[in-house]
Amino acid sequence: MPYAVETRDLTRVFAGKKKRRLRRKPTPNADENHLGPVTALDGVSLQIREGELFGLLGPNGAGKTTLIKILATLLLPTSGQALVAGHDVTKDPFPIRQRINMVSGGETSGYGLLTARENIWMFSQFYGVPSKVSKERIDELMHIFGLWDKRDAKVRMLSTGQRQKMNMIRGFVTDPDILFLDEPTLGLDVNAARVIREYVMNWVRGQSGKTVLLTSHYMAEADQMCDRIAIIDKGRILACDTPSNLKRMIRTETTFQLEVDTIPDTTSFMGLRGVKNFSHKNDISKNRSHLTFILEDEGPVAEILSSITSQGAKVHSLQKSETTLEDVFISMVGRGLD
Amino acid sequence: MNTFWRTFKVAAWLGWEMDSNWTEPWLFMVYSVVKPIAGAFILVLMYTVFAVIGNRQDPAAFSYMYVGNSFFIFVGSVLFGTFQVIQSDREWYQTIRYVYISPISYYVYIVGRAVSKVGVAAFAVAITLVFGVAFLGVEVHMTLDAVPLFVASMILGLAVLLAIGICLGGVSFLTAKHSHGLAEGIPGIFYVFCGVLFPLSILPPWGQAIGQAIPLTYWFDITRRLIAPTIGVDTTLAGYSHFTIMLLLVVSSVAFFGLSILIFKTGEYFARKAGKIDMTTSY
Amino acid sequence: MSASTARRTDLRYRIGLNLHAVVGRSYPRIIGANREPSWIFFEALLPLLGIAAYVFVYQAFGSRALDAIMTSTASAPWGICGDHACLDAAEQALERAKALANTNALIASVVLGGTMVAFWLNVLWSMASQLYWEKEIGNLQLYMMAPMNRMALLGGMAVGGMVMTSMRAVSTLVAGILVFGVVFQVADPLLLLAVFFTALVALYGLGMMFASLYLLWGREAWNLSALMEEPIFFSSGFYFPIGGLYNMPGGWGRAVAIIGAFVPATFGLDALRQLTLGRTAFGGTIWIFDVQTELYILLLMAVVFLILARYSLAYLETLAKREGKLTSRHQ
Repeated sequence: MPYAVETRDLTRVFAGKKKRRLRRKPTPNADENHLGPVTALDGVSLQIREGELFGLLGPNGAGKTTLIKILATLLLPTSGQALVAGHDVTKDPFPIRQRINMVSGGETSGYGLLTARENIWMFSQFYGVPSKVSKERIDELMHIFGLWDKRDAKVRMLSTGQRQKMNMIRGFVTDPDILFLDEPTLGLDVNAARVIREYVMNWVRGQSGKTVLLTSHYMAEADQMCDRIAIIDKGRILACDTPSNLKRMIRTETTFQLEVDTIPDTTSFMGLRGVKNFSHKNDISKNRSHLTFILEDEGPVAEILSSITSQGAKVHSLQKSETTLEDVFISMVGRGLD
Repeated sequence: MNTFWRTFKVAAWLGWEMDSNWTEPWLFMVYSVVKPIAGAFILVLMYTVFAVIGNRQDPAAFSYMYVGNSFFIFVGSVLFGTFQVIQSDREWYQTIRYVYISPISYYVYIVGRAVSKVGVAAFAVAITLVFGVAFLGVEVHMTLDAVPLFVASMILGLAVLLAIGICLGGVSFLTAKHSHGLAEGIPGIFYVFCGVLFPLSILPPWGQAIGQAIPLTYWFDITRRLIAPTIGVDTTLAGYSHFTIMLLLVVSSVAFFGLSILIFKTGEYFARKAGKIDMTTSY
Repeated sequence: MSASTARRTDLRYRIGLNLHAVVGRSYPRIIGANREPSWIFFEALLPLLGIAAYVFVYQAFGSRALDAIMTSTASAPWGICGDHACLDAAEQALERAKALANTNALIASVVLGGTMVAFWLNVLWSMASQLYWEKEIGNLQLYMMAPMNRMALLGGMAVGGMVMTSMRAVSTLVAGILVFGVVFQVADPLLLLAVFFTALVALYGLGMMFASLYLLWGREAWNLSALMEEPIFFSSGFYFPIGGLYNMPGGWGRAVAIIGAFVPATFGLDALRQLTLGRTAFGGTIWIFDVQTELYILLLMAVVFLILARYSLAYLETLAKREGKLTSRHQ
């Protein structure tokens, strides 16, 4: 099956350069005067299937934007190969450009004197979208993204969130096959971000042949949206799998916390199949017990509940704490997103 | 006062960095030398073609034009250097909001940013004059006793220019991105009416009246008198003594300084009222 | 990829795509001009002052020349005719007529040059260096990602700026005729238009080559444009007939004129001046070539520069992508 995006041992090194100074000011550390080469991508090999919503997570400076720029034909790799829609980014950019678009978070592109609608229309013309078709798409997308009442507002009058919505519409108006979203919900309020996420997911899943590569700092967003996620740090892919598999890599257990009426006998719980560990705490003043079970999987839950109720105790609350993507990230990268 | 000085220093440093750090130092020096001479060469060749076609030389007129054009470098650089601060910070670098809301005098900030242009312009003027004297036969010589008056007139002339530039800056709070048009156009007024390239007597009477109302006319005249006293081209201002011209420069410096504050504050007020301080108008 | 995503690549599609791109990019310029009409003052009227200054320079030279011709002195009772004393009243009258005619022709040359300057500045600052500002704003990467031809993008900028440029050019011509009394005698309007538009196309081709530099560089290219502005003015003879430099002693004038030969405006202006002032102006001795020859040269330049522009844009874009400078801001 052909891939929408495929990279093979992709590397990108940025050559450093000496700082220019008219006045030679001595610095204690001579290295500060010389910026050495920076390896932004180091042997990255990825395959993104057509129809996939693929996430790329990594801290600042990990190489996410560098990768996207190479795939968007804005940057050449130092070595390796990148194929988008089956075409080599180095040798054959034209057919790639017909099929892609890109939206970055915090974009300041556009012309202040034009209205939101005019800006989007202008960019659509660079893709040869007929005016009539472009205007219909723009109107529809403006309704969806909640920008309709700002359609005739000059771009310089739009708020940050409104501007980002305009950028998102620009990304979709050309009906690309592959869309690169580089932190698309940056600066958006909760509702607006949710609308965008839902639209992106429907856009990918509701049609055939649509692919999205998404970078984000919001773990929950990536977890919710992506079919698969790659974790990148210092230019290298550390892991690439579905969100659930990634979480399973870190921890195979499940933790349950229950609040029940005080139970006289808790020794029987350890003997239950699938219970790896168990702890409890009694709150005498409230006549409650707080029980924590670490289970291999969710299988023993019914038996535990049965054991509790057989002693005449009532279950007041049941909470399950799962491994999060953040846990996966921290575990692999060694630090949070900074 | 400390805040003003600190603002001025930092702004001057920033102006210098922006002017100079786009290339290697040696290339920047070459650029600083070539650009002013190239600018003067248009006039040199205009004169040359006139002389060749008419088979006639006029060294006095040539020197008059060359000296005036050399010092005009200050006008273009300083005016452009002041009013483009707002345009560039607003439209290109989009840093104006952060600088503007900081506890500094934005007026002083602009002056500081413009100071590097004054320095570069001074170098360019010197280079242009030296080139003219060395290779083009321009008649320039200044006696030692004229030096103090020359320095004083330079200071006053630059003060007037900075003040005019800030007036333009105040206006540019409210206008779209027209730096190049402003860069050419506003100095063009002075180019025509201030006796820079030709005597005021060439202009029609109303043009001469305008010229005599602009302080820079007197600045060019006294500069020429001090630097090239033997040119002898009628400047229509022969009736004014050195003292009168200096007095006119002092009065107009003070007047333009006051005007610059008024226009700057007014432009700033209306820009704030309309939300235009950090607008972008590129197209 | 699946069949539904097949895209056209035929010539008709590409032409349509690039025409859309030209329309799209010219739109902000045209709309911007309407929405911020202050450009009329700043871009079209104020620059007339620079032209006026050069006109007055020639008037000043001419006035002093006339004074020298008509002033009687002990050593020159009939005034000075060029580099010698006039022999008699007849020679004095002839010299006076010649001086007047030359001065008027030079003033007309300035006005014509000022008209062409409007287009050259549009090429340099509103098209070529505009890429620098697009990079700073963040639009350039969006442009480079789109499938349109880069020349279509630049063409759109040029077309969009044409309104302002034409306004400036026309106001220069009108000011020259009405205010400075310049008289143009157009014997062959069709040939004039042919020369003008061919020179324009060649000039824009050269400008597109300049524009390619901005893909790789930022402020260096901007400062290079600023540095090139005056040398191109004087080596192309924007404000004087460049042919006057050929006969200068020492040979350096000829060297300057030869350098200017690479700029389309040189031949364009020379031809336009011949067509509007007549071939006998300045004694008929300072034109480079005849109009037909200059038109052919301009045609050749137009083709060559457009081809070179295409390749330089592609090459420098690749270089910029290789060095990672295509999208870097504040270079």
